Amino acid sequence: MEAKEKVQIDWKVVFKLGFILLLISGVAACCLALTNYVTAGTIEEMNIQANTVARQEVLPEATDFEEVPTADVEKTAKEIGMEKPEELLEIYIGKNGSEIVGYTVKTGPSSGFGGEIQVLTGISTDGVITGITIIKHNETPGLGALATGEWKDQFTGKSATEELIVVKGAAAKEDSNEIQAITGSTITSAAVTEGVNTSVDVYQIMSK
Amino acid sequence: MNFMKNLTRGIIRENPIFVLLLGMCPTLAVTTSAVNGLGMGLATTAVLICSNVVISALRKVIPDNIRIPAFVVIIASFVTIVGMLMKAYLPALDASLGLFIPLIVVNCVILGRAEAFAFGNGVVDSFADGLGMGLGFTMALTILGSIREILGAGSIFGFSLFGAAYEPVLLMILPPGAFLTLGLLIGLINWKTKKA
Repeated sequence: MEAKEKVQIDWKVVFKLGFILLLISGVAACCLALTNYVTAGTIEEMNIQANTVARQEVLPEATDFEEVPTADVEKTAKEIGMEKPEELLEIYIGKNGSEIVGYTVKTGPSSGFGGEIQVLTGISTDGVITGITIIKHNETPGLGALATGEWKDQFTGKSATEELIVVKGAAAKEDSNEIQAITGSTITSAAVTEGVNTSVDVYQIMSK
Repeated sequence: MNFMKNLTRGIIRENPIFVLLLGMCPTLAVTTSAVNGLGMGLATTAVLICSNVVISALRKVIPDNIRIPAFVVIIASFVTIVGMLMKAYLPALDASLGLFIPLIVVNCVILGRAEAFAFGNGVVDSFADGLGMGLGFTMALTILGSIREILGAGSIFGFSLFGAAYEPVLLMILPPGAFLTLGLLIGLINWKTKKA
């Protein structure tokens, strides 16, 4: 019988290959670090700018926005009794000079068709929703993604004293708390409305 | 001319989408509109050219038995760089494509060209190959995106074509539309080329 051939590991080659791979990875890491260094500032600035523009859009009356500290945001989420407190993302107090004119609340309900939908809601101190905008979403183009268009404007002018309800089929009544669902995208409509309702709850607490 | 041959090969004769059938995953997912197809195509082209050139330049340095991990590191780095640059300087495109950029890493067109061409050919030829394959990929994605956008949204590059009376065929911008369009296009191309 033939003896089994013993597998010889050539450690020299192993280390050489490992070293070459390390070298390639090292150079790649340096290139990445450099690009990150160049672009990080611009990306950060654009995020801030985009958020400021969005806040201004949903609460046009305000000239300044003051962020509510994270600890208070978490406390508010608990107070409302949210099942998933991490879905309340940011609260800003909108001011005109020193007078508080309203609040903007960013929520991220995860119940969308494509996962999280980030909704920014503006509510004035007289208890009226001044506008909503969708910051981030992953809904189906042509269906759920329609929420980012004219559809979201129906929230504007709704009262922030009672919960909004999504209705299907029949047109939503004027001056009511009804929101007309997007045809074929009830899940998206419900998720966005959930985000707005959370914001309404936040408003109730903040305005106390 | 060798350069021209390498350049044009990817555009029609060995088109990565219609003939080689490489990189189907981003193709099917992204082409909901002409702009998305064009953007994804150009981003992939940028990565493909860079990775082809670098891999070709390093082909004497990279030992044969670790070439795949080396390719993956190089490709992943370029994808991340393109992703960061896009986020910083082309935010509108990033908003619609951002999700798909990391997918370029696993796009088999890029690894396929690295393995099949760049690792065995010179830098200039590899550049031409990357550019040609990239343009072929971009062209295919733009055609797919245009067809789906025209039928599924009634517009092209965002411009409305038929007015408000047109009821868009939603199916075309949903996943089934991608399969239908791609299948019919490949069939059409095969039919045409067989005839000739």
